[in-house]
Amino acid sequence: METVKINRAAEYREKADAVWKVSWVKRGRSIIGSAIYYLVLLSLSFVFMYPLLYMISKSLMRPQDVADATIRWVPKMFSLQNYKEAMVALDFWHGLLNSVIISFGSAILQVLSCSLIGYGFARYRFPGQGIFLALVVFTFLIPPQTIVVPLFIFFLDLGWVNTHLPFVVPALMGHGLKGALFVLIFIQFYRRLPNVLEEAARIDGAGAMRTYWGIMFPMAKPAMLVVFLFSVVWHWNDLFEPNMYLLVPEYFNLAQSMAFFNGNANLNVQQAAASVSVASDALGMAPTLQNQIMAGVMLTIAPILLMYLFTQRYFVESVERTGIAGE
Amino acid sequence: MKKKFGLSMRGRHILEGYSFVSLWIIGFFLFMAIPLGRSLYYSLNNLEMSKNGLVATYVGLTHYRAAFTSDVDFVPLLQTTMTTMLTQVPLILIFSMFSALLLNGKIKGRGIFRGIFFLPVIIASGAILKELLQQGAAQLPIFYNNDLYYKLSGIIPGNILEPLLQYADSLTLVMWDSGVQILIFIAGLQTISPSLYEAAHCDGATKWEAFWKVTFPMIVPMLFVNTLYSIVNSFTKADNQVMDYIMNNVFANNNYGYGSAMGWIYFLLIAVVLAIVFAIFRKGMAATEGRG
Repeated sequence: METVKINRAAEYREKADAVWKVSWVKRGRSIIGSAIYYLVLLSLSFVFMYPLLYMISKSLMRPQDVADATIRWVPKMFSLQNYKEAMVALDFWHGLLNSVIISFGSAILQVLSCSLIGYGFARYRFPGQGIFLALVVFTFLIPPQTIVVPLFIFFLDLGWVNTHLPFVVPALMGHGLKGALFVLIFIQFYRRLPNVLEEAARIDGAGAMRTYWGIMFPMAKPAMLVVFLFSVVWHWNDLFEPNMYLLVPEYFNLAQSMAFFNGNANLNVQQAAASVSVASDALGMAPTLQNQIMAGVMLTIAPILLMYLFTQRYFVESVERTGIAGE
Repeated sequence: MKKKFGLSMRGRHILEGYSFVSLWIIGFFLFMAIPLGRSLYYSLNNLEMSKNGLVATYVGLTHYRAAFTSDVDFVPLLQTTMTTMLTQVPLILIFSMFSALLLNGKIKGRGIFRGIFFLPVIIASGAILKELLQQGAAQLPIFYNNDLYYKLSGIIPGNILEPLLQYADSLTLVMWDSGVQILIFIAGLQTISPSLYEAAHCDGATKWEAFWKVTFPMIVPMLFVNTLYSIVNSFTKADNQVMDYIMNNVFANNNYGYGSAMGWIYFLLIAVVLAIVFAIFRKGMAATEGRG
């Protein structure tokens, strides 16, 4: 009896040990698994951050730092001199004003117009709707460059070149930069909203416009945020259309000034290289100039980067709620 | 309810619908249909600037023929653009789906990681990326820098290593191009009901099987949207050489007619590619049709 008992006890202990071991193996496996998971995430994040970090580091370096071989990332002399010089070269405040007018103006108008249009497509049935919807998709697929020549001549005839009108007026009509995409986002959003609220408003005697403006539009906040942010960012970074319609430096936006600054710098380097063999670094550009350009790029993206920092959390949430992906 | 203009309910509904979208329709004619028609007309003509505007002389398909026969640069440029597109779009899709799956998991600091992954959307679009590309910072020599090269050159022979590292660097460009796509995939993943995974788990599916049997079929529509978006984006983005070439022809040489013709050839090429994509996905979409 005793031996049996002891045997049984030993058996239980062994079993308990086995369970204990298994759970440790499992836990170990999940720890390794999540370690790999975070490692992948972190290394990908590094690749995404790298250019930004690189630019920040370079933009803070002075000639002494560039010459110093021991310095790779953190400059010894923390100096904002490059930024000061870049601000002058960019005509920063002027460019900023133009950029703000173009991108925020167009973005606000696109939110208003694309929402209205998207609502019409999502909530009404009318003859020819299928065709118009197909045309919206078609508009999205046409490269803007295909139609730019006639459009340029059209704006030239109207006297709109060197004004902000070529950006503002199409945006007002739900066109402009990626306007069709924004219309599609709103269509997708309004389709998902329940009918009940609208019907209640109609029964209470509200007209179509009042129902839309008072009830439906305020509910579209997630879609608005996504469209607004995309629109601002894309307009901000766009170089193609401003280069078409804004031809005088006075009207340049920041991206244009930056491109101009960079082009000039490259040209100077070429001329210098042609006359004397200057000591330039591997990139073929005088070291300080390159750092100034980095500072310029940082200045150009700083405003939208700041905006993104503040709206980032809501932005991702909104994308999930917009149903951007449903089409 | 009062009747307006003696219209029936249905008539009024239609009228209201039209008035909501009328703005877009007017815009479509002004900023899309008419310019498109004009550019087709230009492409068939020789245009010259004179005192009373543009003077057009009809030349038929001369410009189109010239693009393929006498222009030495245009066709090779088309080819490089096509190859870049064909190699990059699949990579973008795979990478963005992978990232979306990573970011969709329950992890600490998910918000921060997402913020970082969308960073390219904010700073990489358009001019800034072009700037970076010219600077060489953005050659993004993350892999192709000297340290790594010397360390690895002992293990891997140089003539294999070098292209490998360069390829890895071009991958970073792919990563930078996939911000919007990651966003769309995440939004798509959010719509998949957890009960599907529970059901799969109960039936004894491993995570790998659950991905192929549940996740993948459910995000085929987003895959389609992303494919379209990536293709259109790669054809129209700032550092596209064909676009540069066309614009150069138009504005530096004032060759409006020829520029328009090239624009149309390019557009038709894109249309063919998109039609192929549509055809491929119609089969896939039909398989997942009827889901909620």
